[in-house]
Amino acid sequence: MTRPTIPLGLVFSRSGPYAMMGREMEKSALLALDEVNQSEAFDFTFTPHLRDPRGLVAAYHTACDDLIREHGVDHIVGCYTSASRKQVIPIVERTERLLWHPARYEGFESSDNVIYVGAAPNHTVVPLVRHMLENIASDVFCAGSNYVWTWETNRVLREIVTSAGGRILAERLLELGETAVDHIVREIIERKPPAVFNTLVGESSYVFMRALHAASKRAGLAIPVLSCSLCEPELKLIGSAAAAGCITSSAYFESIDADENRAFVARWTSRHGTGSHVSVDGQSTYVCVMLLARAIRRAGSADVAAVRRAAASHRYDSPQGPVWVDPDNNHCFLTPRLARSVPGCRFRIFWEADAPVRPDPYLSNLDLASIGMKLDQRGDALAKRPTHLRVVK
Amino acid sequence: MTRSSPFSVRGRHALLIIKDERDLAIVRRQLGRLGMSVSEADPEQLAAPTAAIDVIVLDADSIPIKSDPASALKCDAPVIALIGTETPSRLKWLLDLQPASFLVKPLRSAGLYTALVVAFDCAQRRSEEAAHIERLEMRIRSRRVVLAAVLQLMRSHALSEADAFTLLRQTAMRHRTTIEQLSADMITLGGMPNRSSRTA
Repeated sequence: MTRPTIPLGLVFSRSGPYAMMGREMEKSALLALDEVNQSEAFDFTFTPHLRDPRGLVAAYHTACDDLIREHGVDHIVGCYTSASRKQVIPIVERTERLLWHPARYEGFESSDNVIYVGAAPNHTVVPLVRHMLENIASDVFCAGSNYVWTWETNRVLREIVTSAGGRILAERLLELGETAVDHIVREIIERKPPAVFNTLVGESSYVFMRALHAASKRAGLAIPVLSCSLCEPELKLIGSAAAAGCITSSAYFESIDADENRAFVARWTSRHGTGSHVSVDGQSTYVCVMLLARAIRRAGSADVAAVRRAAASHRYDSPQGPVWVDPDNNHCFLTPRLARSVPGCRFRIFWEADAPVRPDPYLSNLDLASIGMKLDQRGDALAKRPTHLRVVK
Repeated sequence: MTRSSPFSVRGRHALLIIKDERDLAIVRRQLGRLGMSVSEADPEQLAAPTAAIDVIVLDADSIPIKSDPASALKCDAPVIALIGTETPSRLKWLLDLQPASFLVKPLRSAGLYTALVVAFDCAQRRSEEAAHIERLEMRIRSRRVVLAAVLQLMRSHALSEADAFTLLRQTAMRHRTTIEQLSADMITLGGMPNRSSRTA
């Protein structure tokens, strides 16, 4: 018996400036697609339509236009950067299609025609900054790539840190792809900040981590580095020693200790080899395809409106744990986690939320006062509250 | 001063700072329909505008946040912002440019005329308010001079403060000048100016 097939658009940049992530995400999408196609649990198959926009923003629009008009595609899994997603949104909105977006992003968006499977800012930056304030320092040095993710992440960081009485010691930005990091590393070694917040991406980040590691070692310093984006394949690219010790916030780490994840990682390595690591964005791409397949099964059709209704609040026990779409904003309930990178290109998870956390793309529920209050209760030297706010008896 | 209607946009000149070709095509076509002329600038190489510009249409996403807004954006022409990213960090950058109106991307031909009218009206009100504030500030600055002139009249003519001020006001009216100007002249001359020197 042949099952009906549903065309599925997969739009990932296998070449260009973020080709590494694009390839990881496409590999994960195809893994999920093969599993769906081989599973009797689904009464349909997916036919993949692969497109490589080569990291060119305008090419995302062209690729999706072609998929929708020429190949009858209703559902597209893809995009990595916010600039690419913004190119695709007008066309999926105009033609009433769905974009399943795997990557974490900076928030402040909620399209009816996008299912946001990646983490919202309340899943990533907020827990990381809270951890920093409670356990490391209230003053921080920021190094980042000059684009929307850094701008917005640093703004949230600044808002939380300053409301808790801390300071942003510096904000140094590099153009995307820039690898001249020495002046920033020199400044960090000279000023010895209690923490460094790294929102550099791609090659800039890898070169920075290596240079900071080497310089810290020479100077006999151990400055904690924090990140909301580092993932396992990147640890390998940076180098095991230089990548170790970075405190990272993410909804997925390869080391999550759960049956679903162990089985997923085993399937991944049997397909791509033991030297290959799953990344947060790769796993999230897998979750996109699985959420879509389950929603189509529940809806009994690939019709966009029916699939959107079927996906809403439907729980899927994914490798990263239970995930479901919040119909209020089309973002996902995810479990935030914090981990420290360790030698061997792995992360050791040291904190995770008790349950999946409601997505808050506009950070409208961010309670700055409660973060400051927690620090007050600790009453230690980390919490530098302004003196004029102290109770005087 | 003639007040041009914000509704008449024909003949006005727009500077387009837009990278995306589709957005650019929509704006060009719609401004053409409205009888406006356009010039274009590369968001990555902004220079001070050469021609007289009535309005700037700026794609907010095309310029990195940390870059200093170029001099082209600091001229008096009102700015219409095209908004894609609604993150507070981007909006804060935009607020520093004091946009007169905005449009949300993706653009359609509808909406641009409203944005232009709002921008022109806003620019008009802003320049009127600026002139009004300038006049008020002038008055505040000359308060000491007026006070000195009143004191001089009180002393030289043995008048009460109210009478001295009345005399000052009436003399200014007769001389067809402002109280502030007359006061300044009095301080310079050490007394009431010769009537013939002020009347036309």
